Amino acid sequence: MAHEAPQYVAARVQRALAEGENTHELGIRVDVRGDQLFLRGKVSTEERRTRLAGVAGEAAPELKVRNEITVVEIRDPGEEESL
Amino acid sequence: MKARIAAVGDIHLGEDVRGKFRERLAGIEERADVLLLAGDLTRHGTVEEGKVVADELRDLPIPVVAVLGNHDYHSDAQDTITALLNDAGVTVLDDASTVLVCHGERLGIVGGKGFGGGFAGKCASEFGEPETKEFVRHTKDIAERWRIALKELQADHRVVLAHYSPVKDTLEGEPKEIYPFLGSYLLAEAVDAEGADLILHGHAHLGTEKGMTPGGIRVRNVALPVLGRAYGVYSLNGH
Repeated sequence: MAHEAPQYVAARVQRALAEGENTHELGIRVDVRGDQLFLRGKVSTEERRTRLAGVAGEAAPELKVRNEITVVEIRDPGEEESL
Repeated sequence: MKARIAAVGDIHLGEDVRGKFRERLAGIEERADVLLLAGDLTRHGTVEEGKVVADELRDLPIPVVAVLGNHDYHSDAQDTITALLNDAGVTVLDDASTVLVCHGERLGIVGGKGFGGGFAGKCASEFGEPETKEFVRHTKDIAERWRIALKELQADHRVVLAHYSPVKDTLEGEPKEIYPFLGSYLLAEAVDAEGADLILHGHAHLGTEKGMTPGGIRVRNVALPVLGRAYGVYSLNGH
């Protein structure tokens, strides 16, 4: 496992986020650089953001998780578009 | 008169966010005549999440029409979720149509989740292993049902509500490698054949809001992360 290619580690983490019972998050980008694992994307709550980092950390315990996922701020509907 | 359509998709509700979506809908009756939901109403497609969605939408002052998305199918509870939504007064379209009356004009909505396969020239074909053929046939069957529903639709305004995307334009921002899982041109081809005023879809969280079909029909990706606002409002002017 020590020499597992970073691409496979990233794929394994992405699969864990997509298929995990408590996550099912398909839109998260996962990148491995050296001993760091970067997570990027958007979610709706802080709790979901934290949960994703937890699942990613379990899937790749040897890496330092850099949680760059942002929580989407939902604005007012704003102006209508006339079609 | 114009029909004002509020639309959003990929709201991914669950017990942890109960009450928050409803808060964002306050005053919607002043902005729009109908609310359309473009699928992925839940995260895991469980009955419990379906109940949260139903509770958030119950007794809204304007009609609500929805389609389900891939997440809503994940726990094989799509029929129960549909029934829960129906009980809450939400019309759920599964490759079918409904007609509402807005300001004396008929607003026809054809809806279904759609499916993937990719876009013209770079798509899967109904060829080879049974699994591949089944995948492509699923999209073809859906497109055909939409075409028939549109052909039969009698309305002044025509809107198609989907989860998967009919065009590439509104996927801009997503990795190109996953386009075949985000939509299919077969959906756009069917709508272009029969005509519509607007196509709404979700599914592509990293995509862009605005696009159009090869036939010039406006397409809007209303996935919540794309909109960044509670819902989009699109007004269709009378012909």
